[in-house]
Amino acid sequence: MDVIVREVAKVWNAGGRDQVAALAPVSHRFASGSFSCLLGPSGCGKSTLIRLVGGLESLSGGTIEIRDPVSCALQPVGKHSVMMWQGLNLFPWRTVIDNVAFGPEMEGVSRNERYAKAREVLAVTGLQAFAEHYPRQLSGGMRQRVALARALIMGRPILLMDEPFAALDAQTKIVMQIELLRIFEAARKTVLFVTHAIDEAILLGDEIVVMSARPGRIKEVIPVNLPRPRSLDVVKTPEFGRLFDHAFHLIREEVTRAMEQQMAESA
Amino acid sequence: MPQKLSWSDRIGAGVFYHLPAIVSFILFFAAWEILVQWRDIPPIYLPAPSAILVTLWKMAADGSLFYHLGITLFRIFAGFIVAAVVGVGLGIWMGMSPMVARVLDPWIATLYPLPKISLIPLLIIWLGTGELYKISLSAFSAFLPILISSYSGIRQVDPDLLKTAADLGASRHQIQAKVVIPASVPAIVAGLQLGMGIAIILVVAAEMIGGSGQTGIGYLLISAGQVLETEKVFACLLVLAAAGAVITKGQDYISRKIAPWGFAT
Ligand SMILES: Nc1ncnc2c1ncn2[C@@H]1O[C@H](COP(=O)(O)OP(=O)(O)OP(=O)(O)O)[C@@H](O)[C@H]1O
Ligand SMILES: [Mg+2]
Repeated sequence: MDVIVREVAKVWNAGGRDQVAALAPVSHRFASGSFSCLLGPSGCGKSTLIRLVGGLESLSGGTIEIRDPVSCALQPVGKHSVMMWQGLNLFPWRTVIDNVAFGPEMEGVSRNERYAKAREVLAVTGLQAFAEHYPRQLSGGMRQRVALARALIMGRPILLMDEPFAALDAQTKIVMQIELLRIFEAARKTVLFVTHAIDEAILLGDEIVVMSARPGRIKEVIPVNLPRPRSLDVVKTPEFGRLFDHAFHLIREEVTRAMEQQMAESA
Repeated sequence: MPQKLSWSDRIGAGVFYHLPAIVSFILFFAAWEILVQWRDIPPIYLPAPSAILVTLWKMAADGSLFYHLGITLFRIFAGFIVAAVVGVGLGIWMGMSPMVARVLDPWIATLYPLPKISLIPLLIIWLGTGELYKISLSAFSAFLPILISSYSGIRQVDPDLLKTAADLGASRHQIQAKVVIPASVPAIVAGLQLGMGIAIILVVAAEMIGGSGQTGIGYLLISAGQVLETEKVFACLLVLAAAGAVITKGQDYISRKIAPWGFAT
């Protein structure tokens, strides 16, 4: 699915009459089957943007189009995407397997069938042994994998991922990145992946969308022309180093600006 | 996979954990016994623990203890069950329907701070001093905290969880049944525990004030007090405390069974 974002803006009501302009008009075409990484300082509206794309918040301006790349038919927003949340939002009263099987359960898939499917997805994320545990009994990294499995089981063509690996330890993170590369290369989805890690963005993405400090705009789109299938070896290539430097300079300016902005606001 | 502790290990650990409390109980009653014996305190003021135990034993032997305790427990549970059904039901309804909440909110705000014991005269005028009076007093008193906890439990469900469910394809109806209700179970359970405590208090109070049936631990307590049978007063207090403790522990156990995710394991 193509995701076409046109002049999209979002103003949040921040209690009382206060309003926060989170997104300045933003326009971009996230091409079908491509992996886009959103990079930008904290509070610049990355989460806001992908929640809008997922149809989970109302727009303050602009339009979002979801189009079938073959038939070009316009699709309803939200129906073909699934979100992996920054806060995970696992259901604490459901065991791991019942969390993962939530979507199919809502669709009325029988218990046996949805459990079988959930076990497959849990195997991919390495959590079979913890199917009967409650989220609170898991480590942070395991919870993140549950959230990933719960999104993957939906089989939707658009995957919205909000800092999915941010809380993982460095080793688990690498394993999950490689796993995600494998999943993506096996079945090309349109992925919008928010991250703060430049190396992660280059390793995974086909493009890096660098956003400016609040209100978020797109500052630059950096294409990542590293061949697929990718492995961890790409970090050793000169191209990787060049991309890293480029992205780092862009982002450093914005992070500094965002910090000055926040300091001025709190003063 | 996590390890499961064996039963004997768990009981051993439990005894060890409670040892300080057990020791403090023993010391307390021993000191009491010694004080009474040594200072020769008249039993009307302060009977010795041994004398209280003897009285308790006699009450158990002639069957009066279990008869009155049974009646009191019946009233507590009858009142509590009515309160639980109506309170949880209305609370959920208020939580789901803003209109119902708008109607009921001011009623709750006015009725909640009213001391429920102050309703005793009115209830006796209307219902007499029989079972209906005692059960309605405890039901009405326990009902409000149950209602309020259920309502606020529903309202405080994390809105992001609702969005998550919607994102995963849940309909409005499914969101209410599969997310809103289970998410508010811990709050509902907490309200039920609160309600049970209040039901106990008001049944005993109702038995003490104007109970015509001459039954129940509350009645036993006040009638023993009136003729200065202090051992019996203490025996009744002991029974009430023990029954309360058993009910509370039982509720904790049931809560863990209903909502295992809400408690440390
Ligand atoms: N539900 C909301 N209500 C009010 N304001 C909000 C809400 N969500 C986000 N905001 C505001 O919008 C701005 C952008 O928030 P957003 O969460 O999109 O940032 P972000 O780029 O994802 O940041 P981070 O990298 O820290 O996750 C922030 O100023 C935030 O305070
Ligand atoms: Mg965010």
